[in-house]
Amino acid sequence: MVKLPNSPAIITANRYKWIAIAIILIALAALPLCIENNYIKHLLIMACIGAILGMTFSMLYSAGLITLGAAAFYAVGAYSSTILVMNAGLSFWAAIPLTLIIAAVLALGFGAVFVRNAGVAFVIITLIFVQVVVLAVAQVEFLGGWGGIIGIPRPDPIGNVNFATKTEFYYLVLAMLLLTIVVFNALYSSRIGRAWRAIKLSPNLAGTLGINPYRYRLLAFVAGSTAAALAGCFYAHYAQSITPGAFGGWLSIYVQLYAVLGGLEFYILGPAIGALVMTFVPEYLRMVKEWEPIITGILLLAVILFFPGGILGTIKGRQALSMAGLRSLFKSLKSRTKRNKNG
Amino acid sequence: MTPGLFIQLIVNALTIGSIYILMVLGLDIILRGTKILNFAHGQLYALGAYIMFLFFQTLKLNFALSLVLSGFALALVGAISYLGVFAVLNRRFTVSTAFSYRLLLSAMASVGLMMMLQQGTLLCFGTQELGILSPFTQILDVLDVRISLSRIVIIFLSVAICLMLYLLMYRTPFGRLLRAVSYDPEAVTLQGVNTFWIFVACFALGSGLAGLAGGIIAPLFSITPSMGQNIIFITFLVLLVGGIGSYRGTIVGGLLIGLLLSFGFQFLGGIAELFVFMLVIVILIFRPGGLLGEAAE
Repeated sequence: MVKLPNSPAIITANRYKWIAIAIILIALAALPLCIENNYIKHLLIMACIGAILGMTFSMLYSAGLITLGAAAFYAVGAYSSTILVMNAGLSFWAAIPLTLIIAAVLALGFGAVFVRNAGVAFVIITLIFVQVVVLAVAQVEFLGGWGGIIGIPRPDPIGNVNFATKTEFYYLVLAMLLLTIVVFNALYSSRIGRAWRAIKLSPNLAGTLGINPYRYRLLAFVAGSTAAALAGCFYAHYAQSITPGAFGGWLSIYVQLYAVLGGLEFYILGPAIGALVMTFVPEYLRMVKEWEPIITGILLLAVILFFPGGILGTIKGRQALSMAGLRSLFKSLKSRTKRNKNG
Repeated sequence: MTPGLFIQLIVNALTIGSIYILMVLGLDIILRGTKILNFAHGQLYALGAYIMFLFFQTLKLNFALSLVLSGFALALVGAISYLGVFAVLNRRFTVSTAFSYRLLLSAMASVGLMMMLQQGTLLCFGTQELGILSPFTQILDVLDVRISLSRIVIIFLSVAICLMLYLLMYRTPFGRLLRAVSYDPEAVTLQGVNTFWIFVACFALGSGLAGLAGGIIAPLFSITPSMGQNIIFITFLVLLVGGIGSYRGTIVGGLLIGLLLSFGFQFLGGIAELFVFMLVIVILIFRPGGLLGEAAE
């Protein structure tokens, strides 16, 4: 089923989406005012990072590629920003754009090789690439080895904001999340996003329409990796220490879970909701201690087996069902009243 | 480098290479037959080693018997997990389901399975390292080179298993069905074959191979709950180098990676793994589908 991009249905859907996003953002901005607990603030910050990473996964998925490599460029971002700040003496704010450029160039170079493989091969290559990055930073003495780097400075203060509390970090990561959402949304609603969706449906068919699947997928890879680097840049200065182990292969698998759990067809909201749930649920499962991974596994299987649309997909399905039900009820009432009038 | 060291390194390479080959053959049979990228494969391997420990060390069974039993036990675990998870998931897919969606959901389901298996193993057997006393303790002394017999046994057993697998796949009607299903399941269904049980058999066969690999390696290395996570990356790497869907490629890839890692660790230390991974990326630049495979669409 192909909908025209300018059909009224999509415009109204978009308007609802923007209203929903605005409400969510206002709620998110107000959150630290009502939360005292620092640990919950920390979890919220980690959920925001997870949401950015999940969105990079969704971006590649929208072009029909499944990546397990989100953690790789997350690590690239964290390490290059750390080096730029600690060794080159740059300020945090100057390091961000440089880090993004470094990540984009690296993504272009590696992506040019990786994207040539589709399907299963791409999944495995990206998974192995994460291992390469982790091993590379662990083996190089300059990058701290397995012990990592500690004592990374906080972001430089702007005015009165000196990033001493979690609340300030929370607003910073929220701003980054917002930036990612705006950029990604612009990409999805442009010609590029439509090309990605066409490629996802069929790369060969898209090729016959003059869309070069290789180039567009490479673009998705570069854009996604750059956003992941932004998250990594924040993480390094938030945690103030980085170790290679923090970027291992299983992180990327968690990132996928965010997207699957939230709803695969919701490229922006899906990973955000999924990250929020996947950050908080295992924390509250901590009380069952060693059974936690088993319960997480069962929950994951349950979602995949019985709610394959994810959280948002299920809600939307129910909503569509109830809307259809209401409409048919309304219609039947209308026809009944008509019949009554006639009879 | 003395000739003695050289031969020893070759034997080490063949030992780990043959384990990789068994693992990748299992992974590849599952991937081609049922279109599942099985992340739980490493965990099945670890479970195989633990079950080998249970039969051989605790119940004091014969070595060969406990090996066969651990293979069968893992085939059973595989069949149960297929019936419980992937069969339910498969009912959701139709012929027109996008391949990427199908691949992603089954891979994620296998991640869920992996979490459960890993923690389950840990809860059953504890976190401490276990070891099996190898029944083959002799050291062979060939031309002044000292080689442990248990390594030779591992190589011999792996070759035997590969041969049996070859006979099963290419010389029996069952093997023909397995191969047919990996080419085109719909066509097989149209021939009046109930493909459901073939899929179950595919998954069980692959899991059984992982169990055998774990059982074979158990006397050589210590058994830990994390051994599955360590091997799964190398397994994926070998699958990629050899080419997905090429059994010959798997054997070439397994031996190549085994040799590279064995010699690399000796002469370069820990950085060897990094070089091997980089080399794989270089190979993929020139041969996107792996050494003997074909590039996917």
